[in-house]
Amino acid sequence: MNGGPGRPGMPDIQWPLLIGVGTDHRGDDRCGLDVVRALRERLAGRARVAECTGDITDLLDLWAGVAEVIVVDAVRSGKPAGTVVRLELPGTELPLLGATSTHGLSLPEAIGLGRSLGQFPAHLVIYGIEAENLEMGDGLSVAVAHGVREAVVQVATEIEARDVARPRD
Amino acid sequence: MTERTIHVDYIARVEGEGALKVRLRGDTVEDVQLKIWEPPRFFEAFLRGRSYLEAPDITARICGICPVAYQMSSCHAMEHALGMQVRGELRTLRRLLYCGEWIESHALHIYLLHAPDFLGYPDAVRLAKDHPDAVKKGLALKKAGNNLMTVLGGREIHPINVRIGGFYRVPTVHELTALRPELESALELGEATVRFAAGLKFPDIEEDYEFVALRHEHEYAMNEGEVVSNRGVKIPMSQFEDVFEEVQVPYSHALQSRHKGEGSYLVGPLARYALNHDKLLPRARSIAREAGLDDVVRNPYKSIVVRGVEIVQAAEESLRIIDAYRPPDEPFVEPPASFHATTGAAISEAPRGMLYHRYRINQEGLIEEAKIVAPTSQNQKRIEDDLRHLVERSLSLDDTSLTDACERAIRNHDPCISCATHFLKLDLVRT
Repeated sequence: MNGGPGRPGMPDIQWPLLIGVGTDHRGDDRCGLDVVRALRERLAGRARVAECTGDITDLLDLWAGVAEVIVVDAVRSGKPAGTVVRLELPGTELPLLGATSTHGLSLPEAIGLGRSLGQFPAHLVIYGIEAENLEMGDGLSVAVAHGVREAVVQVATEIEARDVARPRD
Repeated sequence: MTERTIHVDYIARVEGEGALKVRLRGDTVEDVQLKIWEPPRFFEAFLRGRSYLEAPDITARICGICPVAYQMSSCHAMEHALGMQVRGELRTLRRLLYCGEWIESHALHIYLLHAPDFLGYPDAVRLAKDHPDAVKKGLALKKAGNNLMTVLGGREIHPINVRIGGFYRVPTVHELTALRPELESALELGEATVRFAAGLKFPDIEEDYEFVALRHEHEYAMNEGEVVSNRGVKIPMSQFEDVFEEVQVPYSHALQSRHKGEGSYLVGPLARYALNHDKLLPRARSIAREAGLDDVVRNPYKSIVVRGVEIVQAAEESLRIIDAYRPPDEPFVEPPASFHATTGAAISEAPRGMLYHRYRINQEGLIEEAKIVAPTSQNQKRIEDDLRHLVERSLSLDDTSLTDACERAIRNHDPCISCATHFLKLDLVRT
């Protein structure tokens, strides 16, 4: 891939990859998608943005060869709905995430597969938003909508800080 | 008398969620209840009042694993309602798109969801540690299917390029021929998959299924054909509801399908293969023979082998279509500018089996009624029958082993619970 956003000649692969995971029409399951959709324009030139809306093993293809990845997904860990948690790999035990997925396999399983197969980013950050409702239907619950706004700020801040710290050509 | 109850609160490695409750009194299985929640009901309501042109894009959202099936069934149903015929290259391109979904979905199920059962692993992650090459084969096949869907569907998940009458844009010859090397590899990987699957150990059981599938005179049926069964059903798609009915059961949000006056039936790879094996392309037929498959496979555990044969069939057909492809003059057949209120129905073969759609639209083209019968809903009663027989054969097992065996029996049929269910929970009661 050629031409990183706003940096002619820089390969895309150098840029952090932000992936929203989720399913539209499954209540709060879409919160990861909403976060990356809200950030797509703002982060142009700083990160690549992708969505994973079906089979979660697609993550292995999406992050192939990418060093820095940020994934945003719904989680269920017993915290209050809308709570935003940030986990960093390496450095965190995955079972903390819980398997919330309505996408067949769960995010922890995709991460486990990636590790087993050697298809895993050097640095993975996961923003999890505690879900309340995963039933069929449009729209987020109120608490999770608040969590989405908070996650948007946190993710943007992290990526913009990384961009400032990044060595220039 | 000892009562046992087995609960499975969450059944792993199925697409979505559901629950199972089995009640035993002594050596008698009193009740088997597969509980599922059914998103199509939500979509049936959601579709009312929307334009008939929106049905493919809306219904594709029902499932991230088989969006093409929903698009195909909805397009064909609307075209049936409007008296439209989609022929030639557009028809063939639809088949090619469907091949991508079959390859992707079957590869996912074989390697990541089903193989761990046969090789003694609790999940694909631990399977991948010891058998990374097998899992990599599965992922490579999935990618080949995904790439085919991306070129034809606009993107791999929830394709956006399908419309009533055809496509918004058709691919160039170059775009399709660029897929050839990967599909040639997929064909070989598919054959390797059949050999891998055929080498697994299978419980020695057979079930007396009524197989139901589409059958077409000239091809392994996907989008067109008659509804047939091994017990004499032979009807046009439009008569589906005359012969098959949906029944409400109190323990599940999903309606259960039955053959009226008969009982449960099975759709999916075993049914397609049993009713269409004579339509397989040469390499698919050859690998099925090499794997020792009979013309009819009644052992549900061997569905993993049949899925492999269908991967070979889909890859082989994809290559044939690409080699013969000439872009059509127009990307779609124009729907009529005006029409009367009308109804149309169609079935296509999703990876997991027949997917039925029926729509009633008014003279303004707005949907007044939608009915969607997903393959997993059709198989739900039949899966319960499999489970009942399994439990009757396995009474000496302790609860943990019996629960594992039940989960495994469910996975034989690759239930797409994203389409048909919510959390799968097992509840085994022994009294």
